[in-house]
Amino acid sequence: MSEPIVRVRDLHKSFTRGTEAIHVLRDLTLDVGAAEFLALMGPSGSGKTTLLNLIAGLDTPTGGTITVGDSVISSMSESELARWRTRHVGFVFQFYYLLPVLTAYENVELPLLLLPLTKEQRRKQVETALDLVGLSDRMDHRPGQLSGGQQQRVGIARAMVTDPVLIVADEPTGDLDTKSADEILRLMEILRAQLGKTIIMVTHDPKAAARAQRTLHLEKGQLVRDTMTGIGFNAAV
Amino acid sequence: MFGLPPEATGMSYDTSMLQLVGYLFGALVGVIGGAIVLGLLTLPVFFAVLWVADKTAATLANATGWFPLKVVVIMFRGLRRSMLRTSLTYLAIFVLTLVLCLIYAVLYLIAAVTTEKEANFKAIVTHKTTIPSQMPPGYYDRFRSACLETLPPEMRPVNGDKDIMSWAFFLGTTDKVNPRKDTLAFLFALEPDKVLTMMDGLDDLTGSEKELLDQACKRMTANPRSIVMSPSRMKGMNVQVGQTIKMAGLNYPNLTFEFEIIGTLPEGKYEGIGFMNKEYLIKQIDAYERDRIANPKGEKHPMAEKCVNLIWVKLPTREAFERLSAIVNDGKFGTVPIKLETASSGIGSWLTAYKDIFKGIKYLLVPAMIGIMSLVVANALSISVRERRTEMAVLKVLGFQPRHVLLLVLGEALLVGMLGGGMSALLAWGMLGNFKFQIAFLGGFFVPANALIYGPALGMAVSFAGSLFPAMKAKDVKVAEVFAKVA
Repeated sequence: MSEPIVRVRDLHKSFTRGTEAIHVLRDLTLDVGAAEFLALMGPSGSGKTTLLNLIAGLDTPTGGTITVGDSVISSMSESELARWRTRHVGFVFQFYYLLPVLTAYENVELPLLLLPLTKEQRRKQVETALDLVGLSDRMDHRPGQLSGGQQQRVGIARAMVTDPVLIVADEPTGDLDTKSADEILRLMEILRAQLGKTIIMVTHDPKAAARAQRTLHLEKGQLVRDTMTGIGFNAAV
Repeated sequence: MFGLPPEATGMSYDTSMLQLVGYLFGALVGVIGGAIVLGLLTLPVFFAVLWVADKTAATLANATGWFPLKVVVIMFRGLRRSMLRTSLTYLAIFVLTLVLCLIYAVLYLIAAVTTEKEANFKAIVTHKTTIPSQMPPGYYDRFRSACLETLPPEMRPVNGDKDIMSWAFFLGTTDKVNPRKDTLAFLFALEPDKVLTMMDGLDDLTGSEKELLDQACKRMTANPRSIVMSPSRMKGMNVQVGQTIKMAGLNYPNLTFEFEIIGTLPEGKYEGIGFMNKEYLIKQIDAYERDRIANPKGEKHPMAEKCVNLIWVKLPTREAFERLSAIVNDGKFGTVPIKLETASSGIGSWLTAYKDIFKGIKYLLVPAMIGIMSLVVANALSISVRERRTEMAVLKVLGFQPRHVLLLVLGEALLVGMLGGGMSALLAWGMLGNFKFQIAFLGGFFVPANALIYGPALGMAVSFAGSLFPAMKAKDVKVAEVFAKVA
């Protein structure tokens, strides 16, 4: 594995429901290398999404540390995390979550609005991202005018438009047909192989997980298996 | 209970006041109903304005790339997403602003007519204790004499007798047996030759309106049976100019009048009433005394010594007013106690009877309406925020700060508030400005131009109050909770 870009140490996350404490993640330690495509699998309630949210800075841990690049995100405030996310993480959701009132172009442009870029710089980055996902000709379409696969591709363009080091995806193919799912996974492989993005993907689908280089299995908040699939699509090939 | 005498019901409240409250409540319901209809009619205009504003903001945002403009575009688009909810919010603000504009216009008018002038002001003679005031006709002659002879020359009315006028209120019906609303007429019995110089709202007429009224007044002087009426009252009674109507006096019982309608009052002036020649009223009162069929004992008519309700005078200075006031108040006028006040304080005294209603409007109705409308707005926005919880979370995921989300929700509400309040105030201002509506002798009824500022400000304030809580909730959306699939 290359130099780790994500370092998780003794991670613990618990919630309180009434008087009962629910331990979602227990003393989890994990490294994810730069430009690695990692799949997180496990039964429902195993803590996959919670782990993804913690690594992406959407939530704060109860204990332990998370370091992404040089940033110890586990000790950041909500505002600091928001600023950090804009620059360093891209998100891909199962249900795309595009703003229905904005065009594809405007949806992709959203994260860039928070960065000190000129209008021209923003335009260039949005067009590059949409071009990469093959939707240059659909940039003025609203989400309702796009298919599920196309919406997810807009979602991927939005995730990568700020050029983040890390892209997290929560069941990105869960709402798509086989063909569209395959296109999305192929896109993610391109992002890793050609652009050097580190990708962490939560999935229930073994076929999708098989496209990753490495698969982690979680059960009851703990890592139970770490599998190197070793296939690793090489887009240059 | 209405219509029954207090002794019949065993209750001693003032039925007329209760009826007035009833009328006011009815009027309020009517105004709100009308405002809702107007609001619905203006909805397409509102969405058209929203669309134009959205496109303008989008063009500017694209041209400048300025972040706040981009956020404004998102706000506009957000508003156009749920037409039903945005419409509801708009309607609530529109109705509120329109009703409050009308209330504001009434309160503004009352404030204006009860504010003292320093020079060239009107004074009014009334009964000291009775409302409506009733005085003997001899008082008018004595008062004129006091003004024109007793006062020092420099303090006398500038235009002499032309600056003194008396009013008697006459209420009559064309159907004595069944006096319905469409048979009733309320007339001011006055001296027609003084109408154009002494009547508020008519002394500033110009052009053909002034000429027509002047001609009508001359005809009323020449033929005391002539009357002029407001177009709305004529329509209400289904009568026309040129028609002769026979009326029985309701506040002058046993007197009948044969009026010839010779003209109309200018549009919007003295709405719902008319003018008659006082001479005709006096003549009929005198005739009653001689009428041995209706009045076998030859008694004076019961209203003979009560047929002057108000006396108006224009005075050049406050000193003149004070000197005249001393003359009137020295008790030598007669047995009926009277007082001289400036017109503003006279009107103020007349309005005293309704002060509780005005207080109720100002301190109960207005805050209650603002509160209710804020709740309507809050409810609509709360639903919107609940529905868009995921969207708010997505924005946060993308790096938007909680304050951005707060501003987004507040901004949407403020935009609707500003547009709804602005359009409503504009409509109220334009509509009443064109109608030139006048309430009795209180002068022109209009929505002041500053309502164009207060309207949008009120809309925004209500929107702000209503959206603050939903906006705070949106700001505090926990991203992990929204996206968690329950670990």
